[in-house]
Amino acid sequence: MKGKEVSNRRLGGPPKILTFVALLFVTGTVLRAADSSVGVQLDTRKTGPRVVESQTEQAILRDYRLAWASMAKALEFNTVDPLQGPFVGTARERLIGTVASQRRTGLSSHYGAQTHKLVAVFYAPEGDVMELHDTAEFQLQVMDGGKVVHEEHTIRHYIVLMTPGADRWIIRQLQAVPQF
Amino acid sequence: MSWLTSTVLASPNVRRHWLGRIVIVMCLGQLCLAQELKVPASVTAGDETTISTTGSGKAIFYLSGPGVSSKTEISLGQDVHLRPGDLRNAGDYLAIVCSISCRSTAFYVKAGKPAYLTFLVHPSRVPVVQPDAVSGVVFPFDEFHNLVLETAIVSFRLSAGNLPVLSRSVRVQDGVAWLRTTSGKSAGKLQVVATLDSLSATRTVQQVASDPCNLRIKGQRTPKIVAVETEPVRDCSGNPVPDGTIVTFSVSGDGGKSTVDSPIKQGIARAQIQAPGSLVISAASGAVMGNELHVGAQP
Amino acid sequence: MKGILPILLLAGTVGLMVLALFASARSSGTVGIAAGSALPGLIPNALTPEQAVSNFLTEVQRRHWDRAYAGLSATSGVDEPSFVQDWTGSNGSLRTLSSLESFDVRPLHASDSVAQMRVHLVWTTPVGTVQDTRDLELAHEGDGWKVVWPTPQIPNTQGQVIPVTYLRWDLISGGSGDAWGTSNVDVPHVRIVSMNAIDSAEGSMVMGEVVNEDTIPAFVNVDATLVDGTGNPIDEESSFDKIAHVLLPKQVSPYRIDFPNFSLKNVKNVRMDVKATLVPASADPVIGVMNQKIDSAQGKSVLHGELLNQSGQTVNIPHVIASFYDNNGKVVWVADGYVDRALLPQSSESFAVEIPNSLAGKVQNFHVVVNQYSPGKS
Repeated sequence: MKGKEVSNRRLGGPPKILTFVALLFVTGTVLRAADSSVGVQLDTRKTGPRVVESQTEQAILRDYRLAWASMAKALEFNTVDPLQGPFVGTARERLIGTVASQRRTGLSSHYGAQTHKLVAVFYAPEGDVMELHDTAEFQLQVMDGGKVVHEEHTIRHYIVLMTPGADRWIIRQLQAVPQF
Repeated sequence: MSWLTSTVLASPNVRRHWLGRIVIVMCLGQLCLAQELKVPASVTAGDETTISTTGSGKAIFYLSGPGVSSKTEISLGQDVHLRPGDLRNAGDYLAIVCSISCRSTAFYVKAGKPAYLTFLVHPSRVPVVQPDAVSGVVFPFDEFHNLVLETAIVSFRLSAGNLPVLSRSVRVQDGVAWLRTTSGKSAGKLQVVATLDSLSATRTVQQVASDPCNLRIKGQRTPKIVAVETEPVRDCSGNPVPDGTIVTFSVSGDGGKSTVDSPIKQGIARAQIQAPGSLVISAASGAVMGNELHVGAQP
Repeated sequence: MKGILPILLLAGTVGLMVLALFASARSSGTVGIAAGSALPGLIPNALTPEQAVSNFLTEVQRRHWDRAYAGLSATSGVDEPSFVQDWTGSNGSLRTLSSLESFDVRPLHASDSVAQMRVHLVWTTPVGTVQDTRDLELAHEGDGWKVVWPTPQIPNTQGQVIPVTYLRWDLISGGSGDAWGTSNVDVPHVRIVSMNAIDSAEGSMVMGEVVNEDTIPAFVNVDATLVDGTGNPIDEESSFDKIAHVLLPKQVSPYRIDFPNFSLKNVKNVRMDVKATLVPASADPVIGVMNQKIDSAQGKSVLHGELLNQSGQTVNIPHVIASFYDNNGKVVWVADGYVDRALLPQSSESFAVEIPNSLAGKVQNFHVVVNQYSPGKS
């Protein structure tokens, strides 16, 4: 009798915990997906005058992916926190401006299924700045509240300037152009 | 009733089907015409511009771009005026008009004329006569901090004191121009100037003496101590090694080994050593060794 | 049955108290100490030289200076303030920040009237444990033994004015609003000139020398990462205080990085990283290292010498770092030690650093660098 009661209690037990765990799982999955949905390739064959070191190449791939994932999060949820680390200078100021404007108007932007093909076209002799050309392909949605006002699968071209920070490469300039 | 064509679905969950591309909308009591957007072919940052619309009725106009996200009510058929402040940042913009359905069109804003130069020069200190030791990189930006990608010529001029050292013109490619050169022979300030049209930026590189060359010491025994000093310490180009550079004096004798790390003062490093008997004294600075000195015992 | 537990608890408590009182100041090496039946808190009479030294050091450990001074022989010739200062230190030295953790007493020789004891002192300091060995003379006076305390050697420096003409470097930090490219001060250029990795019973070590090749002072730190055959890092450590962090132009410092409990047998590669930052500094004080010699003493190989302060300012905590080379000029060992007395202007203090016996035979040459810490000074 006692065992049954316990099991009954367990069966009837707090569904809130299960819901919480499920929410955590889903949220974590979504966040992982948000980060893992950014694909980045880097071509350094034509870079000059300085040759890109292999460790630098790995760092650029890692930090550029993180930057775009952070930007997507910032523009989707209208929060500036994700922009603090990966961006500096003009790039950060503009993204902060975009977030502020979106907050005022109730708009948000969603960047999904991103792939970036980077070509490093310039690496300064002292290694303190790199210019990259990014052919970016992604799904863009612009939302007004809950309503999608624009949706497209698009290819964009970006001129990117990155500089080395204390522990990562950071984006200083992110400027779209019609073509390279 | 009228038929409208929409290019954008209002709900993300609607399945796309080739018939689904045409959305039939009931217009109740109003004549609704499809809206069109027309944007200028080329827009320069900081310019005002106009987007023309067709159709009739009320609509909402969205502008989404770098640093910009606006939403205003407009009347279809009238032009939408964009102020200079709306298009300061170069990049890709989306103009969206939504009434019953939404239409959008993209356009690009390009950078304006160069207004300043970002000039990176390295290093801030360089030993003399070092090949390819000095580098300069120039990025031209317009007044709104947009990278200018137009082709231009940047002139680099290097001078030491009033004497010109180097002059070179470099074409801006992909928004960057750079040069690399050997450092000069004389210690002192090297001015590096980059000029594009009427814009210029100046940086200073401190050329410093290289490693000491022909490090020579002399010394003599006094009743109490052995006083040792270097001859004026210079590099191989004759530049005096900066004050504060450490010269290590080492003394070997019967009492053991003694060392003093002494900084150069007014070109000369000095040390006083208390050691009896015959001594062998040497000096080194960094990885450079000097001569050996033999000092006899106190008579 | 019920009453046994409280009795046992009481007996255990009393036993632990007695143990704490009499065992705290003694180590297993002490011999010849009278067991005594002294009440807790009272020191037994010094009937033997060992007992006298033990009593004396117990009072020193407890900072009972009156009682410690009372244990000195009348022939000592030192006043109490000087005696206390000899133990507690002065001039902001490392000793002023230290406490006597434990001691070990061993007899050297004894007769009816005089004795000599060797004491090994272990000090707890902010920079770790510091060990010191001293030989104490004792005299039999009355019905007990007393310690003959040597007169402290206080440097007799003539009053004088010493102009400071050595170079000093100040650092002005740029504002956070500096535009990109306008702030143009590169970090100092430093280079690792040698690296040697060895295994020992305590683990593995990476050591060598680093030089400041620049014309301005640098604050330097050296890190090392042990990498296995697959390229994965095993462990990463820093040089901590086994390096002279502030290097003036062209100055060379040894460094040693310890990896406790890690053997080199699984290490395929060692990745070195030297970090340098701008730092304000002064070329003063100049400290000479005099009469350096390697000797064997008490079964150990020791490099000893004297630090001579050739400037006009006090060096509160001198720190000696020595690199030892074999006949090929390779760094085979780096040792460091703190001098627990302040280095007064124009005066000297002795130092000693130990070389492992297993390496002493390989040492052909050595180089000593003096680091120094003075609170409030750069």
